[in-house]
Amino acid sequence: MLSEAASGEALLRRAETRRRWSLAMPALIVISLFSILPLAVMVVYSFLTPGTYGNVEWQFSLDGWFSVIFERDLFDDTLGLADAHLSILGRSALLALATTALTMVFGLPTAWFIATRPVASRAYWMFLITVPFWTNLLVRTIAIQEVIRADGTINRLLLGLGVIDAPIQMMFTNGAVLLGMTYVYLPLMVLPVYAAIEKFDFRLAEAAYDLHASRFYCLRRVIFPLIRPGVIAGSILVFIPALGAYVTPRLMGGGRAMMWGNLIDLQFGQGRNWPLGAALSVSLTLLVMIALVLSVRRFAGGGRADG
Amino acid sequence: MLEIKSLSKTFGAGVAAYHALRSVDVTVEDGEFFTLLGPSGCGKTTLLRLIAGFEQPTGGQLVLDGQDIAAIPPSRRPVNTVFQSYALFPHMTVAQNVAFGLEARGTPARDVAARVEEVLQLVQMDHLRDRKSAALSGGQQQRVALARALAPRPRILLLDEPLSALDLKLRKEMQAELKRLQREMGLTFIFVTHDQDEALTMSDRIAVMEGGRLQQVAAPRDLYDHPANRFVAGFIGETNLLPGEAGNGQLRLAGLAPAPIAEAGAESGAVTVMIRPEHVVVGQEAANAVHTSGRVDELIFFGTDTHVKLSLPGGGSLTARTQNSLHSGTHLTEGQTVPLSLPYEALRILPDEAAHAV
Ligand SMILES: Nc1ncnc2c1ncn2[C@@H]1O[C@H](COP(=O)(O)OP(=O)(O)OP(=O)(O)O)[C@@H](O)[C@H]1O
Ligand SMILES: [Mg+2]
Repeated sequence: MLSEAASGEALLRRAETRRRWSLAMPALIVISLFSILPLAVMVVYSFLTPGTYGNVEWQFSLDGWFSVIFERDLFDDTLGLADAHLSILGRSALLALATTALTMVFGLPTAWFIATRPVASRAYWMFLITVPFWTNLLVRTIAIQEVIRADGTINRLLLGLGVIDAPIQMMFTNGAVLLGMTYVYLPLMVLPVYAAIEKFDFRLAEAAYDLHASRFYCLRRVIFPLIRPGVIAGSILVFIPALGAYVTPRLMGGGRAMMWGNLIDLQFGQGRNWPLGAALSVSLTLLVMIALVLSVRRFAGGGRADG
Repeated sequence: MLEIKSLSKTFGAGVAAYHALRSVDVTVEDGEFFTLLGPSGCGKTTLLRLIAGFEQPTGGQLVLDGQDIAAIPPSRRPVNTVFQSYALFPHMTVAQNVAFGLEARGTPARDVAARVEEVLQLVQMDHLRDRKSAALSGGQQQRVALARALAPRPRILLLDEPLSALDLKLRKEMQAELKRLQREMGLTFIFVTHDQDEALTMSDRIAVMEGGRLQQVAAPRDLYDHPANRFVAGFIGETNLLPGEAGNGQLRLAGLAPAPIAEAGAESGAVTVMIRPEHVVVGQEAANAVHTSGRVDELIFFGTDTHVKLSLPGGGSLTARTQNSLHSGTHLTEGQTVPLSLPYEALRILPDEAAHAV
């Protein structure tokens, strides 16, 4: 009896899975064209020999990959630090994590605010959130510079009010990089979280209060678990591009603290070592993939376990 | 004991103001199965939400066991709700749903487990305790919602049309079961429905609502036999309303012999007279009754009984209900004219509705 029911359920699940795959076909085709193909080019390039003036020579070589793992001298003439790449990677990961955390801190309440407005005004708020996307990333980053640089808006205001005597150095600090990153990536957090909260049935929150839950308890046990998919999606959307970001760290940090993205950029530009650049890119992609699989396993599994 | 004192609720303000509740006064006794009955939009859910604390009254008081509960937030009121939509937490199992109210109050884990087991057995859902609540049938969800609301041992259980989403057979089953649970636990139920049969079969007392007002609060039998006004008479069961005149302890139906009825009082004036279809005697001239005759326009077969639509000589119409038992006498055919008797006992005088109709 029991096993019969179980196998019936399994059968149903399998049919459901098949249906989902066939529905996903168009997306899969697009993904393979625009995501797998360029990646394949990168993989191929990473196994070639650098050309003298950039580009590649069609000759198999493991030097690119060798340079990723065993650090050799890259920019200066001294023998390169054995862990230069690792520390750059660590810095990038830290920045991406901090960016994700900050966009969460600011994005969750923002998404909550918008999702709890009357239906008519939500579109207006969402419009405001997406406006920055209309402008180029470079322009947006320079706009922030304008606000925080030595003779920028904030410093001029504070000087004018007499709060400070000398401009505060804000540009080219870690804080500036984080500020820029948070600003640039905030919408990527807000959008999926908003979508999740909007779908949330607030009668469930009422049921929780009716069952003696405090506001915080309701948030922790009912609201958060149900909007978690949105938060995870937002975190992935922010973390991955943040890991490879290079425009914002470069402009806001003044290029003092190199990020993985800048490192890659360097190989394709001044460095003239495309295979190394490609190898660095592919290794970043691999790292992201591994991290993604692990975290999805952990979060989704955790969701199932505690319920 | 829950005392509801001149409770009012107005949504919005100014021209957009909507009076969902207008000065509701009623006391719900301990251990009572108290039903709020009324048409859609009459304010039943609003009253329940005020008791649960989801809405603040715009006037009046809610007094539970001598204490005004207006300032107490929903999470600390000793009442729990079975929601119309059930509102089960979809990411939790049956047991986790039921445990929620206990855990939220910080009940020790061992006590939670024991209580969850107890209430799951009570609603016969213990075999599905590890099933996700989203994967339950409507009837099962209903039971879990009930178990979840019962688990924290509320002083009063609020039920907002809990059975309206179930099919007829399941609904009948659950009606009996709810009634049994309520009686066994001696718990106060405030039950909302717009189904009069449900209200009549389950309740100790019924409050009939319309337009945000309580029309009448009475036991099912009294409500049926002695409706306070036209609305209640028409809403509960089927009824015949006839114009008449009352005065001098006599009731006179248009064109018929006067009936000596105590309720008629001394003052004379136009009244509405009510008689239930099952009290109309068809085919006989019974004693202690007003006699007339009627033409059978239509016979509608209902299984246990037949509804007889009659037209009266004066131009009015009347519905009678005859039992289809083997020993019930007359055989009727459409078009036939038959004698009718309206027993004095069954005639009810309803107050003039002019004030109410506005
Ligand atoms: N938050 C609100 N704002 C404005 N009007 C409201 C609000 N809640 C309820 N109402 C109005 O109050 C009236 C009573 O609503 P209520 O939900 O109490 O009706 P009900 O008797 O439960 O009806 P039903 O049987 O359809 O559930 C309705 O006309 C409704 O539109
Ligand atoms: Mg309702």
